Amino acid sequence: MSDSFSLPLRPLTEKRDHPDTLPIEIAQINARWGSFRDINEETLRAKIEEEKNRDSWSDEDETDKPAEDVDTTEQREQLYKRRAEILQFAMQAHMEALFALDFVSLLLSKHTPRQAETSMSSFLKQVAPLGSLNAEIVNPPPKSDAAVQDVKTVSRGWRVQNFNAAANKLLNSATRLEGEVASETKYWDEVLSVKEKGWKVCRLPRERQALGVQYGFLEATPIFRDRGLAALRRGENGSLRLDKGLAPQKTRTVRVRVKHRGQLTGCSKLPESPPDTVSVERTILQARDTVYEEELFHELMREARIMGSQGVTTRQNLVRLPISQEQEILLDLVDADAPADDAETESTEHDVLADGLSHSIRILLAYAHRQNLRRRTQPPPALSNKRRHTPEYQLLRPVMAYLQHSAHVRWLESFLKDIYGVLRAAGLQCEFQAAPFSSVSLPRMHPAVPKVEALVQQFLMPFESTFSGNLVTPQSSFRVKIRTNPVTPPFGSLYDISVDLPHHAHVQPPSRVGLQSDAAAALTHVFKLDIVSAIAAHGSKSAPEGTKKEGETGLTWEAAYPHHGELLALSATGRSKKLKVTLSRDELTAETYSMRGIDGHGQAAGTKPPSHSQTWKSEQTDSQPSLMDFVAEVSREQS
Amino acid sequence: MHELLLFASVPAHQHHELLQQLAGLTAMQPRHRLERRLIFKAYRKPGLMNTRVGASQDLQGLELQRLNKMLNGGMFYTQVVGPVAETDFGAKPSSSGDAHVSISGLEDQSSPPYSYEDQPWKLEFRDIPEAGTRSAVTARLMASATLPKGDITSPMNAWGYSFITEYVVEGDVFVLNDIVIFLHRVLLYPTGAQESHGPRRQLPAYRELSPLERTGSYVLQAAITVQDGGNQEMMRTASQHLFGLREQLKSAVRLEQADRLSLDTRAK
Repeated sequence: MSDSFSLPLRPLTEKRDHPDTLPIEIAQINARWGSFRDINEETLRAKIEEEKNRDSWSDEDETDKPAEDVDTTEQREQLYKRRAEILQFAMQAHMEALFALDFVSLLLSKHTPRQAETSMSSFLKQVAPLGSLNAEIVNPPPKSDAAVQDVKTVSRGWRVQNFNAAANKLLNSATRLEGEVASETKYWDEVLSVKEKGWKVCRLPRERQALGVQYGFLEATPIFRDRGLAALRRGENGSLRLDKGLAPQKTRTVRVRVKHRGQLTGCSKLPESPPDTVSVERTILQARDTVYEEELFHELMREARIMGSQGVTTRQNLVRLPISQEQEILLDLVDADAPADDAETESTEHDVLADGLSHSIRILLAYAHRQNLRRRTQPPPALSNKRRHTPEYQLLRPVMAYLQHSAHVRWLESFLKDIYGVLRAAGLQCEFQAAPFSSVSLPRMHPAVPKVEALVQQFLMPFESTFSGNLVTPQSSFRVKIRTNPVTPPFGSLYDISVDLPHHAHVQPPSRVGLQSDAAAALTHVFKLDIVSAIAAHGSKSAPEGTKKEGETGLTWEAAYPHHGELLALSATGRSKKLKVTLSRDELTAETYSMRGIDGHGQAAGTKPPSHSQTWKSEQTDSQPSLMDFVAEVSREQS
Repeated sequence: MHELLLFASVPAHQHHELLQQLAGLTAMQPRHRLERRLIFKAYRKPGLMNTRVGASQDLQGLELQRLNKMLNGGMFYTQVVGPVAETDFGAKPSSSGDAHVSISGLEDQSSPPYSYEDQPWKLEFRDIPEAGTRSAVTARLMASATLPKGDITSPMNAWGYSFITEYVVEGDVFVLNDIVIFLHRVLLYPTGAQESHGPRRQLPAYRELSPLERTGSYVLQAAITVQDGGNQEMMRTASQHLFGLREQLKSAVRLEQADRLSLDTRAK
C-alpha cells in the first residue's frame, strides 16, 4: 500500500557523487586490521571461525543460561537484588536531577531571585547566597573543518532517519484510514439501503452515537414495542450487523395444530428457513416476524387465561382450545428452524384448517393493533388512581366461536338432512333451507371505518345462522336460529327454535336450547306432532272420497295423544284402532293396534303385538308404500 | 376535575415544522379540529336573591344555604363549544330556494348544508387558575357537560346565562399518553353588517375569517385533566408529565405557565 501511495513523503537519498577513493579505504583497513603484510591464511580462517561461533547476543546468553537453572529462593534473591539495583539507579537519577535543578536555580537567582528561590533546596540556600553564580557567553574555539563536516554528516543522517520514520508513520496511517474509509462507506451504503427499503432508521435513545433501526410495531404492548428497535453495528470489515441486545437470535413462530380424536391431523405451515445468504434486510424482517410472533403468543396466553371457563387450558408453552367433543386446537411457540416432527402428525387432513387459523389469529392481532392506535389517539380520560386496564385482545374468542358455530351448523344441517331423508322416504313432501352465517354481511360497512377494519369487525360480532323449512302439513313451518357470541356472555352456541303449527297453535319449543340433544329432541317432537296432524287431516279429507268409490266406510283418525304420536280411529262397529307414529333421526315407524273400547290408553299397547307395522329409513332404496298409503290401507282393512 | 396546562406561542412560520415535530413525537397524525365557541355570561335573575330575611337566617336549612351560596356566589363566563367541519363554512342554508341552490350547486354540490338545528354543543366551564401554587404549571378547576342540540340560547337563558359573543377555534390535536396537545388559533368572524344578539345560524365562508392575532401565530396548549384535584400525588404526577413534555420540546418551543389573570373567567 505504501508503495502505491504517490505522495513524495520519503526523503530523497542522493547518491554520493564520488565514492570513497581507494587510498582512503586502504587507509581505513590499515587502521582497523593492521598492515596487509601480517595477513596469512591461518589468521583469516581463525577470524572466520570466530565470527561464525559468536553472534551478537552470545555474551548475554552465557550469563542468562545458568539463571534459568537456579531455584526459586535464589530467583527471589536475585529479584530483590535487581530491584535494589533499579531503586539505586532511580535514586541516583533523582539526586542528579536535584543537583541540576539546584544548579540552574542558583544560576537563575542572579536575574530572578524570587522565582529561583522557590526551586532551590534548603541546603543550597544555607551554603550559597543568592546570585552568587553568573553565566556569560564565551566564544567557543573554532572547530576544525573535519569536525564540522562530521557533525554535518551525522545530523544529516539523523534527519534522514527521522524523515523516514515520519514518512512510514504517515503512510501507515494513510493505509489505515483508507481501509477505514472503505469499511465506513460500506457500512453507510448498507444503512442507506436499509433506509431506502423503508425502514425507520434513528439514533438509539440510550446510546446517542449509535444508529438503530425500528422494525417493531408501535401499537404493540410496551415490552414488545420497545423490543422493536435494534442497533445497527459495524462489523469488522464494515458490514452491517443487527444487534438486538439480549433478545434471542432464533426465529420463533406460533404453530397451530389440530387434534382430532386424540391424533394430530393438521399443522400450520411454518415460515421457510432463510436462505444461506443472510442479508441485513432479511435479518431485520426475521427480527420483526419474531417480535410479532412472540407478541402474538403472549397475547394468546393472556386471553387463554380468561377463557378458563370455556375449557381452555394453558401450559408453559401451549394453549389448548377445545372445539367439540372430538376436536381440539393446540397453539404453541416453536423455533422456526426446528425439525418438523412428522412422526406425531398422523395425517394432513386438517392442514388447511390449521393454516386458516394461523392466518386469522395474525390478522386479528393486526386488527387489535389498529384498535390500539385508535384508542391511543383519542383524548384520554382524566388522570385518576385507577389504572387503565388494557383489555385482552380478541384472538382466540372469535376463532373459537367461529369453529363452534360452524360445528353446530354442520351438525344441525346433517340432522335435518337425515330427518328430511326419512320423511321423503315415507313419501312426505317437505323441504328446508339453510342460511349459514347469515349474520355476516360484508356490504353493511360503515363508510368512516377503513375497509380492512370493517372486514374484521364482521367476524367479531355474534355469529348467527338460520335454518327454515316447511313441514308436512301446509302452512306449518319451523325456523331455527343458531347464535354464537364470541365476546360477551352467555358464551357458546344457542339454538332458538320457533315453529308455526296451525293445528297446535300453543305449542312452542323452549326458546333457548343449549344442547344439541335437546335441540334434536325438540325438533323431532315438532316433526312428529306435524306428522300426526297431517295423518288426521289426510284421513278426514280422504274418507268421503273412499266411501264414494268403494262403498266402504274408511276410518277417520283423530289425534288423540299427539304428543305421544298416537291416533285413534273408531269404526261404526265399535272396534277401535290405534296408530302410533315414532320418529327418530334414522327412521319413521307407524304401527297400528286394534283395540276394544273407545279409549286407547286403557290397555297397554306394548303387550299386544301390533297388527300392522311399517318402518321407513332414509337410505332404503326399494319402493315402499308411502305413509299416507299405509294409513289409507289400514283404514280400509278395518271395515 | 382539574386541568393542568402549559402554553407556548408559536409563530406562523414555525407552525408547519412544529406540526411535523409533534406528529413524530406523538407517533400519530394530527386530528384537525374546528370549533365554534360561544361565550355566555352569567347574570343574576331578578327576584331570586332575596333569600336573606332578617333573623331567620339561622334557621335556614343546609340545603337552602347551599342554594344561596350557589346563587350568590361568583358569576362566571362559560363557553359553549360546538364542533363544525370546514364544509359547514359558507354552506348555503337548507331552507334557501331551489333556484338559488341550483346556481350555487356548481361549486359545492356534495357537502350537506350547515344545519344549526343539528349542531351539537358542549358546555365548558373553566375556573380562574389557582393562585399561589408553587408548581410552574397553570392549574384550574374545570367541568364539561353535553348540551342539547340546536338552538342553545334559550336553554342557556333559562339557566341564567346571556350570550356575549362567539368566535371560531381552528387547530390540530395530538395525544401523548395523558397529555392532550392542542395547537390552535382563534379566528374571528368578519365584522359584518349585522351584529346579531345570538349565535349565527349560518357560517360565513372560511376564508373570510380572520385570525385574532394579526400575524397568524398559533398557541400550543398542553393539558392534562386530573379526576381528583385534591389528590396531591396525582397532581404532582400530572405536572411531572407536563414538565417531561416541556423538556422534550425544549429545542422547539418554550412551554410555560400562563398569566393567571389573563385566564380570569369571573364576570364582574
